[in-house]
Amino acid sequence: MNISVYGEDRGALVHFDPRTKFVIFLVSLAVSANSYNAAAHSIYCAVLCGMLFLCGKKWNAVKMSLLLGFAVYIRTCMEMQATGSTVIVTIISFLVTIFLYFFPMLVSLLIITQTTRVNQFLSAFQAMHIPTKIVIPIAVMFRFIPTVGEEWNGVRKAMAFRGMSLEPSAIIRHPVRTVEYILIPLLFSCISIMEELAAAALARGMDSSQQRTAYEPVRLKAYDYITIILFLTVGIWFFAAGLITGGAA
Amino acid sequence: MAKKEIAAAGASSKKLRTKELIYAGAFGALYIVLMLVIVLGTSMIPVLYLLAPITVGLVCGTVYLLCVLKVKKFGAALILGVLFALCACSNAWFSFVGAIAAALLAELVIKLGKYKSKMMYLLSFVAFNLNMACPYMMLSFARDSFLKRSVEYYGQEYADGIAKLAPTWIFFPILGFAVIGGILGALLANALIKKHFAKAGVV
Repeated sequence: MNISVYGEDRGALVHFDPRTKFVIFLVSLAVSANSYNAAAHSIYCAVLCGMLFLCGKKWNAVKMSLLLGFAVYIRTCMEMQATGSTVIVTIISFLVTIFLYFFPMLVSLLIITQTTRVNQFLSAFQAMHIPTKIVIPIAVMFRFIPTVGEEWNGVRKAMAFRGMSLEPSAIIRHPVRTVEYILIPLLFSCISIMEELAAAALARGMDSSQQRTAYEPVRLKAYDYITIILFLTVGIWFFAAGLITGGAA
Repeated sequence: MAKKEIAAAGASSKKLRTKELIYAGAFGALYIVLMLVIVLGTSMIPVLYLLAPITVGLVCGTVYLLCVLKVKKFGAALILGVLFALCACSNAWFSFVGAIAAALLAELVIKLGKYKSKMMYLLSFVAFNLNMACPYMMLSFARDSFLKRSVEYYGQEYADGIAKLAPTWIFFPILGFAVIGGILGALLANALIKKHFAKAGVV
């Protein structure tokens, strides 16, 4: 099992607060949904890669920015030339654009899931006096998304071992059966992990009504405030631009 | 110690405990990952993009029902709905509100069954799956900006395909698809839970 999946920030150049990362995630969602300007969108994506680098996942940041550069390059090439078989151009431009659409969301999710430990997340939000009923589901969700991916890979390998493929043709011919073959093992393994997670959390006193103390202090520092303000400005700018363009069109 | 714990459990038996909050969050992650996989995998073709309420309902019905059947209290469907709205409906505020309203409706249906009736649990997924129609609300209510964005992201041809397939009244058929997806998903979930999970004692 790859331990680094669950987030550690030992290699971080700047230790950002989990709240800062959460603001970045929300702003990225807004940017994805409201971006009408390709250049501004690409710049925002590049800044996100820089954030990932600062948070300590340097190799991942380099990989993501290479992918981003490649996608933007293909897109620019196709816009400049506008030749070639329509079908192929449509398919490729579709793949590129869907990649670009989900890029901000993906990278900000990486920033949260790969460089934040769940205990940091919990103590940061409890310091803001947000009730645990809201914090726990969100924290568990971010913690669990990589787990689902891992289990998904495991199920796929196990299926291949038994000679069942997940090819599109198989899905079209036997949709319900394929769903059953994938879903049931996935759900079973996820449920057992959930139970272990709940037991572990309760054993560490997660449901205690007392104020939690943190092993390492979680506090917003000057650079956190600067980053939050910068990202919020960008987010509001994108949102306003989206409203104006949408309304004018 | 044991007495105190029983008393505490008795007092809070109607409210969600930490364990159930963890279940809800984890099922939320599962639901969102499955939904994203399906929507991304099928949205290559505009027709399948519009049919996503059915495909997602079919697959995610089992996840939803396992979640509410495992918790059996107020809040499970609501938390799932809020997490869904956070990830899928952040493009427009009315989609966000709509998705949460669908989750509240599902809670209401479960409450009518007094958190016991299995039929009501199955029915509640039909209400819950209405949230799959919410991301499409902008097709009707913010049509121009949506089409403009489709040009930006997917290219002119894809946007034309969507515009041709989706006239302004498309939202009502999509609501219908969401209901069909909810019914099919609930039926499939019922069969699968009976076949696998009830036997294993999970629910």
